[in-house]
Amino acid sequence: MNENVIDRSRDITILEVLDRVLNKGVILTGDIVISVADVDLIYLGVKLMLSSVETMEKLKSGKH
Amino acid sequence: MSENKILFSTGNLEGLAEDIGKMSDTEGSKLKLSPDNADSGLTKLVLTLIELIRKLVEKQAMRRVDGGSLTDEEIERLGETLMKLEMKMEELKKHFKLTDRDLNINLGPLGDLM
Amino acid sequence: MEKLIYSIIKGTENPAQLISVLNGLRGISGAKLEVVSCERIAAVVCSVQKNAVVTDRSGTLEYAGLVDNLSKEFTLLPVRFGSVMESNDEIRKMLQKNYKEIEKNLLKVEGRVEFGLKVFCDPEKLQARFNAKGEAEIKTVDNTVKGQNNSVFKDYVNKKLIEYRIEESLLSYVNSVIQEITECCAGLEAISKYKKMPSPTNIIDALFLIDKEMTDQLIRLVKDLQTRYPDLNFILTGPWPPYNFVDITIS
Repeated sequence: MNENVIDRSRDITILEVLDRVLNKGVILTGDIVISVADVDLIYLGVKLMLSSVETMEKLKSGKH
Repeated sequence: MSENKILFSTGNLEGLAEDIGKMSDTEGSKLKLSPDNADSGLTKLVLTLIELIRKLVEKQAMRRVDGGSLTDEEIERLGETLMKLEMKMEELKKHFKLTDRDLNINLGPLGDLM
Repeated sequence: MEKLIYSIIKGTENPAQLISVLNGLRGISGAKLEVVSCERIAAVVCSVQKNAVVTDRSGTLEYAGLVDNLSKEFTLLPVRFGSVMESNDEIRKMLQKNYKEIEKNLLKVEGRVEFGLKVFCDPEKLQARFNAKGEAEIKTVDNTVKGQNNSVFKDYVNKKLIEYRIEESLLSYVNSVIQEITECCAGLEAISKYKKMPSPTNIIDALFLIDKEMTDQLIRLVKDLQTRYPDLNFILTGPWPPYNFVDITIS
């Protein structure tokens, strides 16, 4: 198996994992708090859903 | 998670390079509404909705044309109206410096709007 | 101190086993795992600093890995990453309040795992198939002779009509592939979900919840589908904890 295929396989697996763990599963609404190492405190309250989705996207792209 | 979760693939994953890139693309057209860009955020929202409606109208019109229930003259007039609508949209986009991509809001788990 | 919730599990008749499994595992950043029980269900949690779940991508993957490991030992509902509650008492209250829904979902996923099937196409190849169909005449009510009074507007409609027909053909093709996948998978007694054309190249995004024992059968089915659709690209991933098959939103 050449290296490219292994990288792609890894990429696909990671994306699949992140999509599930960040977007799916049991959802607890209300005040959920996530603080990412290089980003300020973000509350997943309904009002700020837009900015929190942004954070999730940042996590997906691997920007630490 | 150390195990590989891919159970089956043809191994031809190179073709997916573009898709993988898109899936992790965050520079896309998120609708960012904050105090300093509320105006342009609002413009984007309005234009997005107009574009959505225009596309729906166009699709519905084509359905009618394909169905064969329109006269030659009706098709002419339909063409004129749709064409003018599309040209107007292009003007607006140019004026506000927005691309098709800008107008396609990402609804997170629901995918893209259009 | 607050509590980060990893998943909600079906209570066990063997609490000693539960404790020993949890002792052998660690949460993100090495945190110790605790159990918050409520009758026949329980939440697996760990303590976190108030107002912060500090993490990055690797922390997120750690979280996912733990949920994956837990799902191998227990019937569980995975919880979305970042779900934090004030205390074990609050968690217990939440479990009590949503007991019926949780139990219903646990029953649904017991002994079952999730698989994802993504189908990719080559848009140009596919479009070429439908092009011929799209080029057919515009029909009109009064059957005017073709070529008469060709105007710029008629040409515009023509162009849009071809695009429309190609899109409709594509949609109908996608529906037929989904139909075939559904028929093939009939024997699996799966719960399935389909998303059509999430992108120009990804034409189908399917999810299946099946009995663990059916795994090999599913793999064989997908291999078979791939040979029947050589122009498409099938990618099967799994087994996953049932992220896409829990439909509870807890407030």
